[in-house]
Amino acid sequence: MSEYLLDMRGIVKDFNGVKALNGIDLKVKAGECVGLCGENGAGKSTLMKVLSAVYPHGTWEGQIFWEGQELKAQTIRETEEAGIVIIHQELMLVPQLSVAENIFMGNEIKLPGGIMNYSAMYKRAEELMRELKLPDVNVALPVFNYGGGHQQLIEIAKALNKKAKLLILDEPTSSLTKTETEILLDIIRDLKKKGVACVMISHKLDEIAAVCDTISVIRDGAHVGTRPMSGMNTNEIITMMVGREIKNLFPREEHPIGEVFFEAKHVTCVDVNNPARKRVDDVSFQLRKGEILGVAGLVGAGRTELAMAIFGCYPGDYQAELWLDGKQIKVDSPRAAVNQGICLVPEDRKRHGIVPLQGVGANITMAVLNKFTKFGVIDASAEMHQIQQSIARMRVKTASPNLPIKGLSGGNQQKAVVSKMLLPNPKVLILDEPTRGVDVGAKYEIYKLMFELVKQGLSIIMISSELPEVLGISDRVLVIGEGQLRGDFVNDGLTQETVMTAALGQAIKQVA
Amino acid sequence: MSTASKNLQRFFSQYKILTLLFAIIVIWAFFNHLTNGAFLSARNISNLFRQMAITGMLASGMVFIIIAGEIDLSVGSLLGLLGGLAAILDYTYHLPLPMIFAIVVAAGLFVGGWTGFWVSYFRVPSFIVSLSGFLAFRGILLGITKGVTVPIESPGLVAFGQGYLPEIFGNIIAVAVVLFLVVQTFRNRSSRAHYGLLVAPLWQDVGKLVVTALVVAGFMYTLNSYEGVPVPVLVTLVILAIFTFMANSTVFGRRIYSIGSNLEATRLSGVNVRLIKVAVFVLMGLMCALAGLTTTARLAAGGPSAGTLGELDAIASCYIGGTSSRGGVGTVYGALIGALIMASLDNGMSMLGLDSFWQMIVKGSILLLAVWVDVMSGAGSDR
Repeated sequence: MSEYLLDMRGIVKDFNGVKALNGIDLKVKAGECVGLCGENGAGKSTLMKVLSAVYPHGTWEGQIFWEGQELKAQTIRETEEAGIVIIHQELMLVPQLSVAENIFMGNEIKLPGGIMNYSAMYKRAEELMRELKLPDVNVALPVFNYGGGHQQLIEIAKALNKKAKLLILDEPTSSLTKTETEILLDIIRDLKKKGVACVMISHKLDEIAAVCDTISVIRDGAHVGTRPMSGMNTNEIITMMVGREIKNLFPREEHPIGEVFFEAKHVTCVDVNNPARKRVDDVSFQLRKGEILGVAGLVGAGRTELAMAIFGCYPGDYQAELWLDGKQIKVDSPRAAVNQGICLVPEDRKRHGIVPLQGVGANITMAVLNKFTKFGVIDASAEMHQIQQSIARMRVKTASPNLPIKGLSGGNQQKAVVSKMLLPNPKVLILDEPTRGVDVGAKYEIYKLMFELVKQGLSIIMISSELPEVLGISDRVLVIGEGQLRGDFVNDGLTQETVMTAALGQAIKQVA
Repeated sequence: MSTASKNLQRFFSQYKILTLLFAIIVIWAFFNHLTNGAFLSARNISNLFRQMAITGMLASGMVFIIIAGEIDLSVGSLLGLLGGLAAILDYTYHLPLPMIFAIVVAAGLFVGGWTGFWVSYFRVPSFIVSLSGFLAFRGILLGITKGVTVPIESPGLVAFGQGYLPEIFGNIIAVAVVLFLVVQTFRNRSSRAHYGLLVAPLWQDVGKLVVTALVVAGFMYTLNSYEGVPVPVLVTLVILAIFTFMANSTVFGRRIYSIGSNLEATRLSGVNVRLIKVAVFVLMGLMCALAGLTTTARLAAGGPSAGTLGELDAIASCYIGGTSSRGGVGTVYGALIGALIMASLDNGMSMLGLDSFWQMIVKGSILLLAVWVDVMSGAGSDR
């Protein structure tokens, strides 16, 4: 038998010709914890989906050896039976069912006739809870009685019950408080002693350092390196993660920057599911006229929530004090925001950006439809005139403006959504991941447009997970980490390492 | 999936309206054959259209509710309540006709607003709000009529349900409609040309107009060879025209489709989506008022059981007429064709002397089939 429990070799996965993984190796020994690191979109989650057969064998190239045998799983069930259990970032518990019912979901202990054997399940669930040092959990109570941290541990109990030999934890602490995180890390150490291996995907390097024996870094779908954790320091890891060159993809143009005219003060957002946690914690910043303000940070750091609070659409409790042109403004709905001159191009294009069944044109004019009306009746010609102008300006490629927008490519949909949010003539345009899922050509056009807009005096807040993009486009960069403002840098000789270091928690404030 | 079934799918989704018309032709031919020509007699056709008018009015309002992603189960009860109210205002209080109309319409708008307000601002699911209305409105009706039928006396009100449009007026309206369509078509062509847009070949537009004119002429000829256009049918056609215009050419119409397709994206574009939802329910209330007045007028009385199951016929008409059960898609004319299919089945089967239980079984099956076709044609939905 090989010395490795898991040995993935040369994994290649491509999506319509785009290689998300390009020859990745990952090796894990029994009882070992491997930290998997990489920037957003580096391919970590895709790799784990290949391993757990979310992408079945045959849809990717390469080989996976599990306990010395080649694994050719077609379904998640097969990999789970083999002992590979993945715990997703989004918890997969049914809140209304009891702790025990959740632990045994799909795996119930039954009496003859399909009747649930509750006493046996409760007994086993209690054993698991003791094993996880949670003796005070009442396994008969619904899961919603317990907070995010406990729920994460209940997921782990569920995995252990499946006799997991390898536990994959995808950002396990992203929704936990500090204390809850400590408990979780203790449990992982305990599991290692019992011979359970872990792969931990995390952006939090201190946590990786605390529990992992080995660290594996991937970048742009390629394997950068695997090193023993001992002897590594965070700077080395960061260098491995960001080593990408900034290619000449950014059509940077000089533009004049004016005075501060927009200010957000003390923006605070409370987590909808875990009121003890703040998604955004007292963030304040200023924006100058004609400026492109990049907002960097890791996924889940609270950047999108910050944007939502400014746009008046954060779903939970929040506070935000906004000042525009020296006056405090009240923004309690997207409508109010648009009327005040603040527009948002949302991150999740499918859910929040497009109205899929309506035409490209109708999507573009949605926010300003009243401009083309007389007594509520649309002047179709005037509207079409505007639509054609917008389509031409943004070079949206569509066979007809009447074609449902869902048929367009991601890049063209994005251009249409940006057009929509430009028509109200905003003063502040917030772009949340404007180039996600957009091809290189469309990206370039979006950048060009951004410079054209700031030259006209508009100000842009660009949230982006791609560091090269943030550094290539922005005049100033805010770094958000765990809901807090970690840095406010003038983009002059700013390096990816500095930004990443701030994002990962080593706050170096250098106020502009 | 095989290419053949994919092609079939594409055919159904692209030519939904043709499929529906084809279904009507098959149904009519079938009954006409079995009744030895009695089904397609002028008298029966006139009757058939009058029968579909009430369901048609409800369906015209319901289609927007379903497009907006909601449902309203209370419309049958509300129709009964408003019809009963009309009868009481006439029989007990002897109010003049315009006053009766004004009060009933106002009540319809108010109740629609009530339902919409609960759905939109208090976020109670429309299924529940309207289920509560379904029970409560019927209860109020039983209370105010004391469970007995209230006759009506006003001849004007009776005419609203039973009257016919004199032949000459009918013809004038028909000619006016065709002329209007001709003018619109050519104005549209020139405005498209003005903006440098693609203009369809002339023969295509002219062909469409000729077909439309022939259909209108045939319709008028048939109805005029009996008694003329029944008033409720005229009302339904006016609603069809106004609502189709509203759906295609007004901001309000655009917003309804938009919130049904993606409420969040619409809200984030700065649209007051709550207000739109309330307005859709207010419109439904208006349709209930018209349908209630027509029902009472047609029966010359307001009864405690009027409109029972009317909501289900209206909802079924919408689905049969191609309204998507997932919201965002649907047309008023589709819903009316759906209502016509339902009315044809009812009418034909009762002419054949089939028990009414057969009508229910057949209508139920047709509904299932129609929605299945819709789901298949929208398969692999990527919303």
